[in-house]
Order: sequence, then C-alpha cells, then structure tokens
Amino acid sequence: MTTVEKPAYSVIGTRPVRPDGVEKVTGKAQYGADIRLSGMIFGRVLRSPHAHARILSIDTSAAEAHPGILAVLTYRDLPAAEDKMEELGESNINVKEASDNVLASDKVLYRGHAIAAVAAASPHVAEEALAKIKVEYEILPAVLDVRDAMREDAPLLNERRFTKSMGGVMSEKPSNIAAHNQFKGGDIDAAFADADVVIEREFTTSMVHQGYIEPQVSTASWNADGTLTIWTSTQGAFAVRGLVAEILRHPVSSIRVVPMEIGGGFGGKLPIYLDPVAALLSKKSGRPVKVSMSRTDVFEATGPTSGTHIRLKMAAKGDRITGVQAVLSYEAGAYPGSAVGAGAMCMLAPYNVENFQLDTYDVVVNRPKTAAYRAPGAPAAAFATESVVDEIARQLKIDPLEFRRKNASRQDTRNVMGVAFPRIGNEETLDAAINSPHYRAPIEGPNRGRGVASGFWFNGGMQSSVVAAVNTDGTINLVEGSTDIGGTRASLAMQLAETLGVAYETIRPVVVDTDSIGHNDVTGGSRTTFASGMAVFEAGMDIRRQMITRAAKLWSCTEDEVVYEDGGLRCLKDSTKELTFKELAAQSARTGGPIVGKASLIARGAGGAFATHIVDVEVDPDTGKVTILRYTAVQDVGTAIHPAYVEGQIQGGVVQGIGWALNEEYFYDESGRMVNSSFLDYRMPTALDVPNIDTIIVEVPNPGHPYGVRGVGEVPIVPPLAAIANAVADATGHRFTALPMSPRKVLEALDGLE
Amino acid sequence: MITVIIPAVLRGLCGGTAKLVIAATTVDGLLRAVEERCPGFYDRVVEQGHVRPELMFALDGEVVPLALHDTLRSGAEIAIVPAMAGG
Repeated sequence: MTTVEKPAYSVIGTRPVRPDGVEKVTGKAQYGADIRLSGMIFGRVLRSPHAHARILSIDTSAAEAHPGILAVLTYRDLPAAEDKMEELGESNINVKEASDNVLASDKVLYRGHAIAAVAAASPHVAEEALAKIKVEYEILPAVLDVRDAMREDAPLLNERRFTKSMGGVMSEKPSNIAAHNQFKGGDIDAAFADADVVIEREFTTSMVHQGYIEPQVSTASWNADGTLTIWTSTQGAFAVRGLVAEILRHPVSSIRVVPMEIGGGFGGKLPIYLDPVAALLSKKSGRPVKVSMSRTDVFEATGPTSGTHIRLKMAAKGDRITGVQAVLSYEAGAYPGSAVGAGAMCMLAPYNVENFQLDTYDVVVNRPKTAAYRAPGAPAAAFATESVVDEIARQLKIDPLEFRRKNASRQDTRNVMGVAFPRIGNEETLDAAINSPHYRAPIEGPNRGRGVASGFWFNGGMQSSVVAAVNTDGTINLVEGSTDIGGTRASLAMQLAETLGVAYETIRPVVVDTDSIGHNDVTGGSRTTFASGMAVFEAGMDIRRQMITRAAKLWSCTEDEVVYEDGGLRCLKDSTKELTFKELAAQSARTGGPIVGKASLIARGAGGAFATHIVDVEVDPDTGKVTILRYTAVQDVGTAIHPAYVEGQIQGGVVQGIGWALNEEYFYDESGRMVNSSFLDYRMPTALDVPNIDTIIVEVPNPGHPYGVRGVGEVPIVPPLAAIANAVADATGHRFTALPMSPRKVLEALDGLE
Repeated sequence: MITVIIPAVLRGLCGGTAKLVIAATTVDGLLRAVEERCPGFYDRVVEQGHVRPELMFALDGEVVPLALHDTLRSGAEIAIVPAMAGG
C-alpha cells in the first residue's frame, strides 16, 4: 500500500467482518427469488422471436380463456406516455421508450423484446397460456452492427428519429445515429503536421454483458387501496420506485420498493424490466405476482454494454503526446443512450494532451438497449488510446510506463472537457506501478509478453440519506437506503465508528425500503462509500453535537467547555467530569430523549480515480489460447476504508476486463438471434482461468471527502482490455485491434489467416 | 468572474470562441450572459425552463447535474457536457 498525506485513523483501514456475512454464508440472506407470499402466483413474459418487426396485432383471447390464467397483459394496459426526455431523480429517461421497452407497442426492436405477460398459480400453466398468444408481425430487415446502422441506406429502427447534437437537430433525414457530439481543443492539424510519429488505428469491441450471477426477479403486490409493494433485485430501490411511478402514472408515495440482497449488478440493475409487469399483473389478478428471468432472458432482453467502433490517430513529438483525433461510434441498442460521451471524456484523462478532436456517435441497432457496465463507455475507449500509446512508446523506444509518466495528467491539467483536474493520483499510481515487484521482475520465456495500460473514471456523488439511532446501551442502529453490493454496510459503519470514536462492532447497519428512509440515489457510479459515507459522517457529527449539548446540561457548563474526543466527553474546566459514549447514551431518556443523528445531502467533491495495470501473458501458438500468468492492478482509491473490500472490487473488475478482452461477445446469427445466450456458450472467466490478482492500493486522499474517499469499483475494468492486448502484442508481435482475442482469432492472426 | 468552456458543437454560435469569461452568480445568469454573446446558445442548453436532461456540467473538475438556480462561486470553471451515469 502506498499512502500519501493520510491522517491516523482508528477504524478506517482495518478489515473487520462484514455485518451481513453470517446471513450470507449460512444461506439465510433473502434474495429476490426467496420471496414467498400468501396467495402468490407466477408471471411469464412473451418475447419477440424477431430482431426487428412491426406488430400488426396481438390476440390474447385464447390465453385469457386458458384454464388457470389469472391475468394477461400487453402494452394496452400501460398508460400512454409522451415521447420526450424527462429528468427523473438521478436519471433521465424517455418514458415512451422506457414503457415500450417494458412491453412493446408498435414495433419489436430486438429479439427478446417483451410483448405480453400472463400470470397463473403455476408457472407451467402460465407458459402454456403464453403459447396461445397470437402475434402477427411484419418482419423488417434488422441492423446489428454499429457501422452498418450508420449507413445512409440502413434500415431505420425509428422513422421519426433525427440526429441530435446538444439540443439541436443536425440531420436532414431520419437516421439511426441518435446523437453526435464533439470535444475539441488546441490545434490538431498543427500537432499532426509537426509530429515525429503519427499512428492511426481502428478498433472494435463486441457487446458484452455484466454477467451478474442473479437474474432479474421482481415480486409485486397491488393492494385494493392502490398501494403497491415491490420486492426486487436492484441497485436502486428509489430509482425503481420513480420509474414504476412514471411508467404506470401512479403516485410515488403509494409505491414501496423493498431492495432484496443482490447477486451482482455492475450497472445492469439500474434499469427496470419486470417491476411494472409484476405490478400490473398483480393489479389485474388481485394476487401477489412473482416474475423472473431465465439466463437467456437476461442475455437477450436486459442491457449489456455497447459494441463499439473507434478510429484513433495519435501524434507524438520527442517524448510527448501532442495530438489525438478520434471518432467513437457506440451501439446504444434499441433506444438511444449509450455511454459514448463518457468514453470520450475518459479516454485521454491519464494524459496531458493539448490538441485533440473527439467525435462521438450514439447509434441505435437491433439489440437490447444497452445499460451501464462498470465505468460505462471507458473500457472500449481506453482500449483504443492505450493500445496506440503503447505502440508509440515502442516506436520511440521508451519504456511504456515511463512514457505514460512523462505525459501524465496531474492537478490543474485540463481534460477534454476543458476544465482543470483537482487533486488526482495519476502520477502516484504510475510511480507505484513502475516500482512494483511485478514490473521490476523480468518477463522470460517463449511466447510470453508483458503489457501495461492506464485508465480513469470520474466517480459520482449524488443524493444520500442516513439515520443513526443511539441506543441506551451505547450501540447504534445505522439505517441507510443504498443497496449493499460491495460491502457498503461495513464501509459506512466503519466511517460512523471513526466519526464517533466507538467500536465498529457496536454499529448495526441495515438497508431499508423506500418508505423507511429519505431518498437515496442508486448504488452505482462508485458513489455509495463516498456519498453515503459523507452522509454518515454528517449524521455522526449530528450525534456528537447532541451529546455535547446533553453533557453541558449535566455538568452545568457551556457547550464550548465540553470536548468530544476518543468516543467520550469531558469538561474542560473540571477534569473530574467525564462520560463515555455508552454512559451518556444510557442517560438519553433523562437528558432530552432519543439521540438520533440524521443527514440528507447531495454529495459534491467526488474525486476521480486512476488505475494502471501490469499483465504478463503466454500465448499458445498451437491453440491460440492466451493464459494470464501474472496480473497487478495499481489504483488510487483516496482512502481505503476497508482494504479487503477495496481489493475485492479491484480484483472483480480486472476479471471482468479479462473476460471482455479474451472471450466474451454477443454472437448473433444473420437473423439477429444471439446464439450464445447461456453461460455454457458465453464464456466468462472462472477461477480456473485467472491467477491471483495482485493489488497495490495507492492513497491520495480526495480533498472533497471528510475521510478522503474516492470511488473504487469502476476504474479497475478500464485498463485490462488494452493491457492484455499490449501483452499479446509483446508476446507475438501481432497487435490485435478487435476484441475479444479468442483462441480462434489469435490462431488465425498468428497463421496469417485474418 | 466565471470561465465557461463553450462546447465544440456550439462554438459556431460564438464565432468559433472556445472559452468566455463572464460575470454571473447562477447557472441561469451565466447561460443568459453567454446567450448575449452567442445568440441561440441558451435554447440549446435549456428547454422549458430546465437544463436539458441529456446535459450536465463539469464544474471545477467534477461532473454534476446543476439546475438553473444553482449558484456559482467567482473564479469557477464550468463546461457543458453530455449526461453520464456510472455502473
């Protein structure tokens, strides 16, 4: 661990057992599928067999007459929605598109697009009824690839969609290009004209899925009084509540969303799919309804991340990167909203580049609408940038990490948005990588190579609410509303313990439903330990202030004469007057009643995160298989609240990046059917595929947070794609510009069969 | 004074200018002051009295969703950027 400017902490930086650990390892933790309600029935969803088709008619009469069917649903049951963007808490949605994605109305835009739903006491009966729903289609030509979709003669997903550009319309006729944007600075032409080295490459990455182990599942109970309860697997209970309210035109206050334990999300459980369906099936049947997805449903009908095409040209003079020009085109899926803008805003962040022009295109294709996936948009963009940076360093015969160090961004470097970075830890991260045991060790042996790459993610703040109630025995119930994905119950309890100077074990954190706490934005954007941690700090300070007031009353002194330190209170003017936290808590009933600390805030000051990764690979020349021999991830985390969970986040991100680089891809046939929609055929890394991922935690505290926290969970997936490609290039002399580098593709390349 | 970075796709409204330094105390005041120099700018950022949902701001290095009434400190640097969300 490399630490910069860090204060001494008592609890922060230790590795206590997680509060939810026992429930999880004993199987008692309740996930979405575990819900069993009295009278509960089961919903099933009919999905499109076509990638692109007009719906001419939907006849549900036979399904409705099927014995045992208690409810049938189509788009006609959803309120009409306006076709425009609306701001909804922390997210922006087009309600018409969101509604159409829940149940298609006039068109199906991808195979797996939901069309109708039924509910019955038995899931088998529900499936029988689904088969009786008659949908008449006019099958339309599908467009699956971003470059094909951008062609002028491409089939249009929406004949009324024109290309927009920051509030304006820029295309004269309808297009699959939903949006164009540009980031521009300096004089790019002069940079290329004056360069010693110019390298231009085209890169493609495939659509990949987050691969969370738990499929989407939602159970809803619509009561006779119009109140609705939803138990669901989500990264944001309040977001579900808001989206369901908007799609169903139902009062927010009448909807209670209970976030269950979550089996992974990584951004994929920010959107909603089943919740409105379960709700309306429940309303129609008068029974609680559970609807769940199969793995094939998850692949075909939930949001993966974009497939991309990136053309990038980079100039260098001496040992400096002097200019970058890039065109980024990202598949948005069936509806606009890819993360191409974020990709462009991240791709040059590790460098001080004055001359640049980055054009971005958000393109709809006949695939499921994309969703966020760890550092959305950044990994593919970094794959392009970091591959070319590596190539330039080789051409200039400069060590690739030293080259990055010479060009590194730092505080006050201007990014592509045109604004200066605050305090960041990019250089410290590079230094730690350069000095790491891994990088200092030689890489030896045939067919082996080493690669490095850097990456950046902004991290988020947004809204959080917490309540901390002090009990008379000195223990504390910490109530929060953020889904715990990566150990945030622990990281929040630790920050409260640090703030109050009490033992971590005295704090019992609990994640509650939307009726039981103020608004919390999603667990996403690496924000919860940062933003809810800030709220916890404020709630802790609230408790301290209340305890000081009470001690002053007890001791007949002024509040200025009472000091709160080390988990206790003492009177400055009388050394005999001291109380521990527990002793004062015991007197709460006689000193003013319950002691409850509260905080609701918008967290500002999120510090960006930088990472640099080192990987050694061996390429089998006979099979094309790439084996990861050694992997070290170096990352500035600000302050590691719970280092074991920080390491876990980093290791998890790296493994997902390894899958993206080497194996994972949505593989479609010509009709638009995904042919590898199971975990047997969609190859994610397993424990047998990767070595132990070494982590080096760098701590450059974020000045925007009381404990210096930076978000941790996203940036670790940014460098692996390029780091592995650079290692494969080092091992084979062949530079791969298309992902995944599957054994077949590697073998074809090595045999000159591309 | 506030330094505002003009988005590349809107620089045509500002005669090619990439950066303006403007006296303003709120986001709305800033955008209206830019509008005076770059006619058509305000409506590209604001729709029906609200910042367009697809846009955010990079304020002093942090990407945040500001509202028109949000105040700005003197010396701040601000850019208008596409909305983004994490995973």
